[in-house]
Amino acid sequence: MTPDEIAEHLAHLRDAGEQLKRRPIGEVLDLLGAVLDGWRDPNSGWRRDLEDQLPSATGFTAPLVREGLRRALDDWTGDALRELAIRELGPIDALDSASRRRISGFDTTAVLLAGSIPMPSLLALIAPLAVRSPVIAKPASRDPLTPRLVARSIAETDAELGRCIRIASFAADDEDCTRALLEADCICATGSDATIASVQSRVKPPRRLVADGHRLSVAAIVPPEGADRRIDLAGRLAADIALWDQLGCLSPIAVFAVDPEPSHAAAFGEALAVALANAEKDWPRGSIGASTAHAIAQQRAEAELRRATGRTVAIHASDSTAWTVIVEDGPEPRPAPLHRFIRVVPVADPEHLLNAIEPLGAHLAAVAIEGFGEGTAELAHALANLGASRVCAPGSLQSPPLDWRHGGREVLAPLARFTDIEVTAQEADPRSGSADAASESAGFASREADPR
Amino acid sequence: MSADPRRAEIDRRVLEWVCESRWSYNEKRFEELALELFAFQFEHCEIYRRFCEGRSQTPENVKTWMQIPAVPTSAFKEVELRCFPAEYTAHCFHTSGTSTDVRGTLYLDTLKLYEASLLPTFRRFMFPELLLPEDRVAMRVFAPSQIEQPDSSLSHMFGVVLDALGEPGSDFDIENGKLLFDRVLTLLVESAASEVPLTLCGTAFAFVHLIDHMNERGVLIGMPSASRIMETGGFKGRSREIPRTELYAELKRVLGIPAERIVNQYGMTELGSQFYDSVIRAPSEPRRKLGPPWARVVIVDPETGHQAATGHVGSIVVVDLVNTGSVLAMRTGDLGRTVLDGFEVIGREPGADARGCSIGADEILIGGSP
Repeated sequence: MTPDEIAEHLAHLRDAGEQLKRRPIGEVLDLLGAVLDGWRDPNSGWRRDLEDQLPSATGFTAPLVREGLRRALDDWTGDALRELAIRELGPIDALDSASRRRISGFDTTAVLLAGSIPMPSLLALIAPLAVRSPVIAKPASRDPLTPRLVARSIAETDAELGRCIRIASFAADDEDCTRALLEADCICATGSDATIASVQSRVKPPRRLVADGHRLSVAAIVPPEGADRRIDLAGRLAADIALWDQLGCLSPIAVFAVDPEPSHAAAFGEALAVALANAEKDWPRGSIGASTAHAIAQQRAEAELRRATGRTVAIHASDSTAWTVIVEDGPEPRPAPLHRFIRVVPVADPEHLLNAIEPLGAHLAAVAIEGFGEGTAELAHALANLGASRVCAPGSLQSPPLDWRHGGREVLAPLARFTDIEVTAQEADPRSGSADAASESAGFASREADPR
Repeated sequence: MSADPRRAEIDRRVLEWVCESRWSYNEKRFEELALELFAFQFEHCEIYRRFCEGRSQTPENVKTWMQIPAVPTSAFKEVELRCFPAEYTAHCFHTSGTSTDVRGTLYLDTLKLYEASLLPTFRRFMFPELLLPEDRVAMRVFAPSQIEQPDSSLSHMFGVVLDALGEPGSDFDIENGKLLFDRVLTLLVESAASEVPLTLCGTAFAFVHLIDHMNERGVLIGMPSASRIMETGGFKGRSREIPRTELYAELKRVLGIPAERIVNQYGMTELGSQFYDSVIRAPSEPRRKLGPPWARVVIVDPETGHQAATGHVGSIVVVDLVNTGSVLAMRTGDLGRTVLDGFEVIGREPGADARGCSIGADEILIGGSP
């Protein structure tokens, strides 16, 4: 794709957007709701195509993709989208009538996608359309598939809505194309901190930038004493770790075991190892490159050496690099190679837990917690203060609700322009009740509210 | 030499090999010494013994040098690996790193083997044409001296090289952490004018600083044709980072020294021996790293732990007989692949396997303050 072609796409979208703005927002939400319901349906053509093609496009295994999509999309319904819109934008009917709040989408929204997990791409393309902004998306290099399938699903649901989405594929280091894409009126960017910083330096007002850097999640548990409960919790956390091969921002990269008795953490580590071995049978890990395998082998060997010094470090691992559980004896900072490599870190009490999590705060997405009893609410608030935008139960990390405020920010509202209209024909000129003054004011208000 | 008679005997035999004027890559000799040294280190380094026992690998069942358990070099940051009593420590070398990095430490009870090993290797790959022990060359070293940085193995190595191979006047050109640009440029210009070749040694980032300085001043110098460069190490946090091909192209542009006379040295604090690019010794053959007969490299498939297929990328594991006082088998943090009789080092491709939106493995550390 060339910069000129991107410019043509943007021009096309501006034209298509004129039609989109004339459609009632409730109608647009209904159409997008139907798209979501279609994606939820495991028998829909879109879903089947994604399940069939994503493994070869991304390296994830087919069973993992199936299970990951099943868990993630189950609650992403059309109704959920409508509820999200009401919560963030206000009553739908009022949005289309002459009300005191006007909401409009930007003339164009550009979405820069990252990673290869499909659900963020699905939501990233639907969200601008939900506020009636046409969207152009640059697919992530590791997932060229999902955006095209999402665009297809929208076009098949409604041809006119389908004309409001364009895909722009080009290399990440193509500066000319990037510059052309950033001519859109609103930019949604996902990527590494370096990518976000680069985009931020180039997107200046009045353009709007909605940016999400990379994030991570952790789990914090009080290890259960009974074997059954331990196995149950380990199984749920293993699913959180194994799904999407621990590469999503909702994948836990460490389990903090809060217990003054370190042997409880050790026992939980053993249970987690068994659960990850089972997960490997059900949803095998995808392929990895030599550098990742090298990093995993390196971390395992370092743990072996720590154990050799007499420290109480336990290593549970597959023969290959498929999964690894290291039960540490302290919270020293250590690398996280991902790809189903998890550290169980014992901490004595909730205060030490918060001290251990605090350095991660800037990148923290979610924390899965369990076993804190009456201290749960207090801990959740403390985690929120550290930066977590989601506190949930183990086993549900990979099933975020549609309205989860990723990065602590709303889903639709940041993509919209709000205008609060504080004047009416009568309120505009309290000195006069004359018909002329009232009609002038009304005309003025009408022009402001109509972006055309 | 070590006070332990068994270790002293191993040291003596390794030294004998190191001092032989003709190199012989004798597999049997290497294997015997390696297994003997492994047995000694297994017995005298308790941490290493436990590490090996954890893998069920002991002198009883390790039958070839490739089976010797390799410790990760990164472990030197938190583990003391030595085969002699702490009170016998004669020297400590620290790994390089930024002020926020934890630095690894290598403990040595003697420098004799280390120093004896580095010189013939340096000569062989940097100056294959030097035949007589008394031959000398004009050298400049872009690194701090061992007086300024006594805990740097690189500075120590350059000091030994300067003493043994440098013509009078050869010296270090970094003082108080600064490259002495004016002095260096004067010497480079003099070399060009007199057509007396210079050998420039130093860290890769020091050469980047020199290039930047020469570019700022608009200086281009045509060095005599026999001039050569030995560069080593990375850039991280010390200068802008540039690919080696670009570094070499820039060095050719500003100094007139072509890539065929620029040698990258692969070495590290934890290793007693070093490996060098083959370009000067074997200019018509593919560039690859070669080392002395008493140090071997095996490329290991990190997925299986076994030797990688020829040409496949894997972890670089070094078995170095000079490491008699610590551990002879080291798993480096680098990836590489075999090339003919040597190997090449492959930098980690950033984000090579990052498929999700989670932060990269090397970008964040898990845990916190205790």
